[in-house]
Amino acid sequence: MNTNVTIPADTQTSLERVMCYLKGEKPQRIACFPLILNHAARVLGVPVGVYNRDGKAMGNSHVAAWKRYGHDIILIFSTTSTLAEAMGTKMKFFDEDAPQIDEPFIKQHSDIAKVKVPDFSKDGRLPVYMEATEICVKEVGSQVVVSTVFGGPLTTAAALYPVELLTRDMIKNPEWVHELLEICTQAGIKFIDEVLKRGALPFIVEPIGSGSLVSPRHFHEFVAPYLKRLSDHIHKNGGGFPAGLHICGKTAPNWKSMLEAEFDIWSLDAVDLGEAKKAVGHRVALVGNVVPANLLKNTAEEIDAEARGICEKMGDMAGFILASGCEVPINTPPENVDALINAARKYGRFDQ
Amino acid sequence: MTRERGDILKDLMDGVFLMNEELVIKAANEIVAAGYDAYDAINNGLIAGMNQAGVLFDKEEYFVPELLICSDAMYAGIEILRPHLKVSDAREKHKVVIGVVEGDTHDIGKNLVKIMMDAAGFEVHDLGRNVPLASFVEKAKEVGAKLICLSTLMTTTMDGMSTVIEMLKEEGIRDAYKVIIGGGPISQAFASKIGADGYADNAAGAIRLANNLLVKAAA
Repeated sequence: MNTNVTIPADTQTSLERVMCYLKGEKPQRIACFPLILNHAARVLGVPVGVYNRDGKAMGNSHVAAWKRYGHDIILIFSTTSTLAEAMGTKMKFFDEDAPQIDEPFIKQHSDIAKVKVPDFSKDGRLPVYMEATEICVKEVGSQVVVSTVFGGPLTTAAALYPVELLTRDMIKNPEWVHELLEICTQAGIKFIDEVLKRGALPFIVEPIGSGSLVSPRHFHEFVAPYLKRLSDHIHKNGGGFPAGLHICGKTAPNWKSMLEAEFDIWSLDAVDLGEAKKAVGHRVALVGNVVPANLLKNTAEEIDAEARGICEKMGDMAGFILASGCEVPINTPPENVDALINAARKYGRFDQ
Repeated sequence: MTRERGDILKDLMDGVFLMNEELVIKAANEIVAAGYDAYDAINNGLIAGMNQAGVLFDKEEYFVPELLICSDAMYAGIEILRPHLKVSDAREKHKVVIGVVEGDTHDIGKNLVKIMMDAAGFEVHDLGRNVPLASFVEKAKEVGAKLICLSTLMTTTMDGMSTVIEMLKEEGIRDAYKVIIGGGPISQAFASKIGADGYADNAAGAIRLANNLLVKAAA
């Protein structure tokens, strides 16, 4: 570790820190959201395959991870396809990895008639997510924000119908795509209700809306309007909760269209966060963006330097939350997660 | 009445570039009916159109959906013209093996690189996704490919890329192949760290890299 700077002690709980952002006040230091998802299983010491299918294991993993690291948000999550899975897509499970799509539910366009909003008490692994959410809220919800993460409408659609066909249909068969997105949006609204009911924050990931896959024009047509319905629903029913959105990969070409979705928090991945601040920093709180592969491969000193560079780019750091750009890789060395959070303690101070 | 060759080539090119598969099919049939050279039509019509699409992709004016539909149109045209190629048209192409490494089933990025490599005149051997690591080396030996392209979207499978390079070293044939890598978590730094010959962060970049490594090296 960099021994030139001592690590100041925290004077606020994670929850108090994050509440400062919501009230527009300056916290003692910036918050830190390492996107600890499947990695939580490593902290409790259960196989990732168990974490993914057992609500108690998933919830206890996140409680253990939070107690170990003290990060500022718990993110209940296994894959971006969980809603689609509950709607009929078959997944393949692994002992030491997150599940992957095995067989999309929709084989031909007419199958759309069979796609329904799922039942959260029994479909797919939604009960696993809900149980994990309840455990975290009960155990540590008074000290840290508990958030449950689900795929946005386009991401869910792309898990129900192969992404290569879906993206072609955006041009060749747009009405059908809109019909599918409508069902996926209704499923998302239900997800929001179920998570809010349990006292947690719904958080939306829309990786298929990445700028590598979807143009600004298509984002405007197929992504933003549906995401906006989700953010509206959170704003209306969330009791003051903000609407948070994560999009992986490159997003810069889509920032203008992304604003249309009216989210309060953007978690960004492979972008220049300084540029993002200039472009949209007055409208959204930015979360990011240490390179996930670096967390896996680099040393703690390198992570410290990378995080420091990002903090410097963020200038006054108003509204900024230091984070990993995307999921903390499952086998990330714990000292690298520590290095990331310590960087927020060292370089993200408002009390000096 | 038979139209000029140049006019039909323009339709082939525009049909691919403007995502108009029907125009491509009509023009390709016209080439056949008029007895114009099929090889010329593929290269100076269809592939020229795909390359134009690639330029727009590079400039972030076209994105994945557009590129996929352009390639559908290109392949529809090639399908019609291929039976009319002359034996003398067959010439030695640079051979490439491509695939997504074991443990990862995300292949949209790899498929784009394959499409663009096809269009750039490489002979592409596509191993698909979730490919056992040894298969890359075996296939390259079997078909006499000089370039191996590895893709992954997942950090959990990144290490497989260095394993492929290690396999080549163990067999004492590392220098006989160029290995290039790409995908979400991959960076130039990672490529350098594992001793890959190059890294590209998008499909157009992968083609430039392949050209630099194979075509220019051979010239």
